[in-house]
Amino acid sequence: MTTTLALVAELEQLGSEFDGVIAPLVDEQAIRAAQAQFLGKKGRVSEAMKALGKLPPADRPTVGAAANRVKDAITAAVDRKLGELVAAARAADLARTIDVTLPGRPHHSGHLHLLTQVRLEAQAIFAELGFAVAEGPQIETDWHTFEALAIPKDHPARDMQDTFYLSDEIVLRTHTSPVQIRTMQAQRPPIRIIAPGQVYRRDDDPTHSPMFTQIEGLCVDENISFADLKGTLVHFVSRFFGKSLAIRFRPSYFPFVEPGAEVDMACSFCEGRGCRVCKQTGWVEIGGSGMVDPDVFAHVDIDSERYTGFAFGMGLERMAMLRHGVNDIKYYYEGDLRFLGQF
Amino acid sequence: MKVVWSWLLELVDLDRQPTVEEGARALTAAGLEIEALTDLGAGFTGVVVAEVVAKRPHPEAAKLTLVDVITARGGAATQVVCGAPNVPEPGRKVLWAPPGATLPGGITLATKPVKGVPSPGMLCSETELAIGDDDDGIIVLAADDATPLGAPAQQALGVDDWLLEVNAPANRADLLGHLGVARELAALIGGRLVPPSIALDELTGDLDAAALAAIAIADPAGCPRYIARVIDGVTVGKSPRKFAQRLRAVGVRPLSNIVDVTNYVMFELGQPLHGFDWAHVAGARIEVRRATAGERMTTLDDQERALVPEDLLICDGARPVAIAGVMGGKDSEVSAATTRVLLEAASFDARSVRRTARRLGLHSEASHRFERQVDPALAELASARAASLIARLGGGRIARGSVDVYPRPTTVAPIAVRWERLRALSGTGMIDAIAIGACERLGFAVESTGPHTAQVTPPSARADILREVDVIEDVLRIVGYDQVPSTLPRLASAPRHTVDDRGDRARRALAGAGLAEAITFGFQAPTRAAALQLPADDRRARPIPLRNPMSLDQAVMRTALLPNLIAAIARNRSFGRADGALFEVGSVFLRKDAGTGEITELADEPIHATAVLTGLRPAWLGPARAWDFFDAKGLLETLVAALVGNAPLAFERATDIPYLHPGAAARLVGPDGAVWGEVGEVHPATREALGVDGPVFAFTLELARLPAAAIAQMRAIPKFPSASRDLSLLVGVDVPAGEVERVLRSAADALVEAIALREDYRDAKLPAGTKSMLFSITYRAGDRTLTDAEVAAAHEAIVARATADLGATRR
Repeated sequence: MTTTLALVAELEQLGSEFDGVIAPLVDEQAIRAAQAQFLGKKGRVSEAMKALGKLPPADRPTVGAAANRVKDAITAAVDRKLGELVAAARAADLARTIDVTLPGRPHHSGHLHLLTQVRLEAQAIFAELGFAVAEGPQIETDWHTFEALAIPKDHPARDMQDTFYLSDEIVLRTHTSPVQIRTMQAQRPPIRIIAPGQVYRRDDDPTHSPMFTQIEGLCVDENISFADLKGTLVHFVSRFFGKSLAIRFRPSYFPFVEPGAEVDMACSFCEGRGCRVCKQTGWVEIGGSGMVDPDVFAHVDIDSERYTGFAFGMGLERMAMLRHGVNDIKYYYEGDLRFLGQF
Repeated sequence: MKVVWSWLLELVDLDRQPTVEEGARALTAAGLEIEALTDLGAGFTGVVVAEVVAKRPHPEAAKLTLVDVITARGGAATQVVCGAPNVPEPGRKVLWAPPGATLPGGITLATKPVKGVPSPGMLCSETELAIGDDDDGIIVLAADDATPLGAPAQQALGVDDWLLEVNAPANRADLLGHLGVARELAALIGGRLVPPSIALDELTGDLDAAALAAIAIADPAGCPRYIARVIDGVTVGKSPRKFAQRLRAVGVRPLSNIVDVTNYVMFELGQPLHGFDWAHVAGARIEVRRATAGERMTTLDDQERALVPEDLLICDGARPVAIAGVMGGKDSEVSAATTRVLLEAASFDARSVRRTARRLGLHSEASHRFERQVDPALAELASARAASLIARLGGGRIARGSVDVYPRPTTVAPIAVRWERLRALSGTGMIDAIAIGACERLGFAVESTGPHTAQVTPPSARADILREVDVIEDVLRIVGYDQVPSTLPRLASAPRHTVDDRGDRARRALAGAGLAEAITFGFQAPTRAAALQLPADDRRARPIPLRNPMSLDQAVMRTALLPNLIAAIARNRSFGRADGALFEVGSVFLRKDAGTGEITELADEPIHATAVLTGLRPAWLGPARAWDFFDAKGLLETLVAALVGNAPLAFERATDIPYLHPGAAARLVGPDGAVWGEVGEVHPATREALGVDGPVFAFTLELARLPAAAIAQMRAIPKFPSASRDLSLLVGVDVPAGEVERVLRSAADALVEAIALREDYRDAKLPAGTKSMLFSITYRAGDRTLTDAEVAAAHEAIVARATADLGATRR
C-alpha cells in the first residue's frame, strides 16, 4: 500500500535520479530523450503519479505539489544542461584560429585604360557645364579636317600638322575639330559639345605619338565670350587636378579661331614655383583654344553676327602625364600589362 | 625666325630700354614665343682686344713670330708666341687669349713654352673662337676698328649680343624680318619704328636703271610687283666682320658682299632679294612668266630642275635665270668676276611659290617668306636698302632710279570696327580709348566714325588683319590676354545628344570582369592583317593603305582588333608575363569599295570589343587553372548581358572562321538572328604569325549589331515556393549540349522556371557512345504552391520528349 509519504519520496528520488542520468550526456537529442523518459506521458513521473488515485483526497494536493516541484526541477536541469552545451560549443568555436597573414583571396577586378579613365572624368566634368559628348570618324575628308576650318590647301598652317593622307581628299584626322564641323552642320545653336577621340599626326618622340587622343570642346550661343572660354577651362583644370590652378592664355594662331590662344596652366607638380616638368617656368602648356572664326561659321551657315562661340582642344595623354607622372607617351599604346595594371 | 637683339634695337626708338629678358618676355606674352635666348659670345671668355707694338722672328723656328702686345695705351707689353703667317705690323689690333682665358671646347689657356720661349696664352683665329671658318691666320681687326684696347673680344667681333629664336605664327610673314619684330616691340614697350638708313643720292652714279634693264611681267597674278635696280662697278669680296657675323648668327653662311647684302636685307626687312650678274642677263631683259612644258634649268645648288607649267620663272632674253621666289639660277649668279649687279626685289603669289617649292623639295629662306605672302609695298624699301648697302660694301655706284613694274598696286582697305563688339567678344569692359591706343601703338590708323565705332587701317605689312575680328584679336594681344577675366557661359539648355555609350559600357563590363583595357594604334603592319588568313574577297583582308606612313609598321589601317591584341600578348610574354587577359574597345576601318588601293570614300568604322585570354587564370593559393574556351564564352555572355540584358543567345559552332581553331569556335547569334560576335581558340597559325606560341582564347562583339538596351522593367518577386527536380539522362556523345537543352525547353510548359545543366559526364563505364547529363529543373507557379503531382506531370513530359527526340534514356 503506497503511502503519501512514500510517493512523495519516490517523486523526489526521481528528481535526483534524473540529475544523474543527464550528467554525462553531451548532445541535445539524448537529453531530450531522457527528459521524455521522466516527464513524457508515459514517463516515470507519470507512472509514479498513477498511484495518486489510491491516496486519500486530502493528501493529493501535497503530492501534486511535490510532483510539480520535481517536474520543474527536471525542466530546469534540462535547460541548464542545454545552456551548458551551447556555451561549450560556442567556446569551442571561438577557440578556432586561422593564419590571418595568408594573402587575401583576390577579387581580380580589371583595369580601365588610364586614358579611358581620364576621358570619362573629363566628360563628367564638362557634363556639369552642360557639354554633351559628340563623335566623328577618324578617317575624315580633307574638307572637314581642313577646308571647313579655314585651312585651305597650300595654307602654311598645314605644315603645323603633318598629315597622314589616305588619298588626295581623305586623311586621318589630325585633330578632333572636324567633329565641330559635323556638329554645326547637323545642329543649330545653342551648341555645347565635347568631342574626345583618336587623332593622328606624323610625329614620333617621347612626347609625341603618331596616334594620340584629343578632347575638343565647342560652345556656340548668343553672347559667348573669350572670358567664358577662360572660365570654362579654369573650371575644368580645378576639377581635374583637384586644386585651384591658374590658367594663362598666350596669343597664338590657329586658322579656325580668332582670337586664338595657347592655354597654359600653373604647373600641377610645383604649383607654379618652377620644376623640371615645367622647365622652371611654372607653366605647362595644355592645349589650344579661341573664339570660333567667322569663316568657320560661314562654312556651316551659322550667323556670326548673332552667334559667337569658343572652341578648345587638349591632349588627354598630356593631361594624364601631368596628373599621373607618365613619363613617356609610348606606354599608353603598347598593351604592356605592367603599365595597364597600375591604374 | 632668328633675331639678333642689337639689330632689332637698331630698328626702333623705344621709350625705355628693356633688357633682353624683358623684351623676350613681352614678345612671348604677345604670341611671339621666344623658343630660345642665346648669348652669342658665350663660347669663350677672357679674350681681349690687344694692339701689336713690335714683332720679331722666333730664334728657334722660322714659322713662329714673337709678338709684343699691349692692352692699354702706355701699358707694359707682353711677348706672345704666334704661329700664324699673318701677324700684322705694329699699330693693328689682334685678339689675345691671355692665361686664364677659355676657348670653345673647354680649353683654358696658361703660359707654356713654345720652342723654348714661354708664351702667355695665344693670339686667336676665327676657328679657334668658333666665330667663322677662316683658319688661314689670326684675326686682325680692321685698321679703323674703334674697339678700345683691353675690351672683351666679343665687342670687336659683334658677338656681345643675344640671339632670340622667335616662333612666328604661320600667318605673320611680317615677322620673318627684324623690322616686323621691331614693330611688335615698339607696340609692346612703347616707341616708334626707325627704318634702316638709306642714302641713295650720295651713292647714285650717272647710269640710268631704265636704260640698263627692261622688265616684263607676263603673269601679274603670279608676280604682282617686280623692282629692278642696277649697281655698277662693284668689287666682289668679303663682307665686313660684324656684318658677316650677323648673318652667321641668323644661320646664313657669309659668301660675298653682294650675296650677303641680299640675305642681310631679307633678314632685316623680310623681303627676299636676288642679285644677278648683269653681264649674264641676256638682252638686259627680265621676263616673269610660267614655265613651258619640258623646260629645264640648273639652280644655284648645281641641281638640274625639270619645270612644269605651273612654275613661275624669272627669265632673261634667252632662258630662265631663276625659279621665282624659290632659288636663283647657276648661270647668272654673282661671281668674283661680277662688276654690274641687277638687283631683284619682287612679290610673288604665295600659293604659286609654295606649290613649286614643295614639288621641287626646295625649301629656301626666300620660299619660306614668299609662301607666307610678302607685302608688295616692302619691295621698294628693300630694293633701296640693298642697293645702298651693295654700293657701300662693294664700292660701286647705283644706277639712277629703278624699274618698278607694279600693274595693280595693292591698297589696304579700312576695316569697320565696333568697340562694343570687342567688349562682347572678349568679355572685358575695355574702354574705347584703351583699344584705340593699342591700335595706334601697332601702327594702325584709327578714324572714329561714331560712338564706339571706327575705321581702322593696318599697315600694309599686316596682311593678316582683314576683318573686325582680326583687329579685336590684335588689340587684345597688345593689351594682354591676362586682362581677360574668367566667367562661365550662361547655362542654356543645349539639345542633349543621344550618345552611343555602348563602347564605354562594354569597357566597364570587361574591366569589371577582370580584364585589362589596352588601346592600340589604328594603323598597323600589313603582316598583322595578313595573320588573320582571310580570303582575298573579305574586306578585312584589304586594309586601307596610308599614302605616307612613317614606317611599314604603320602602313595600313586595322580591320580587326585581334592582331594588335595578340601582338600585345607576344610583347608581354617577351618580358615574362605569360598570363594575361586584355581587351580593347575601338574602331576598325573597313573600306566600302572592292579595291585594294587608295580609298575614294570614307570608311565604315564599326566599334568592336575584342578580348584575348592566355596562360593561367588568376588564382589564390595552389595551382591555377588555364584560361579556356568557356572562360571566353562566359565573358562574352557577361558582356552581352551588360549591354542588352539577359537576351536569349545562341552559339553556333563555326568551322570556317580562318583565324579561329575549326574545332573550338562559335558564332554568337542574337535573338534577331544576326551574328553579333564570335568566340574561340585563336588559330595556331594566326597566333604564331603574331609571335605567340601558346593557346590564346578570344572573342569579339560588334557593338553596332546589338539593339539599344531596353529600359529594365521590374518583374514581380515570386510569392509562392518553387520545386526543383533533377533529371539525369544518357544521351549520344555527339549530341551537343545546346541541342539537349533546346529539346528540354521545347517540352517545358509554363510551370518550368529554369533549366540548368549541372554535369556533362563522360566515362568508359557508361554505355558505349553515350554521355551522362544532369539537369536541374525548377518549377514554379505564380499563383499557388505547386503540388507534387503537378510537378511530376510536368517533369515526366520533359523526360518523354527527351526520350522521343534525343533517344535519351533516363538514368
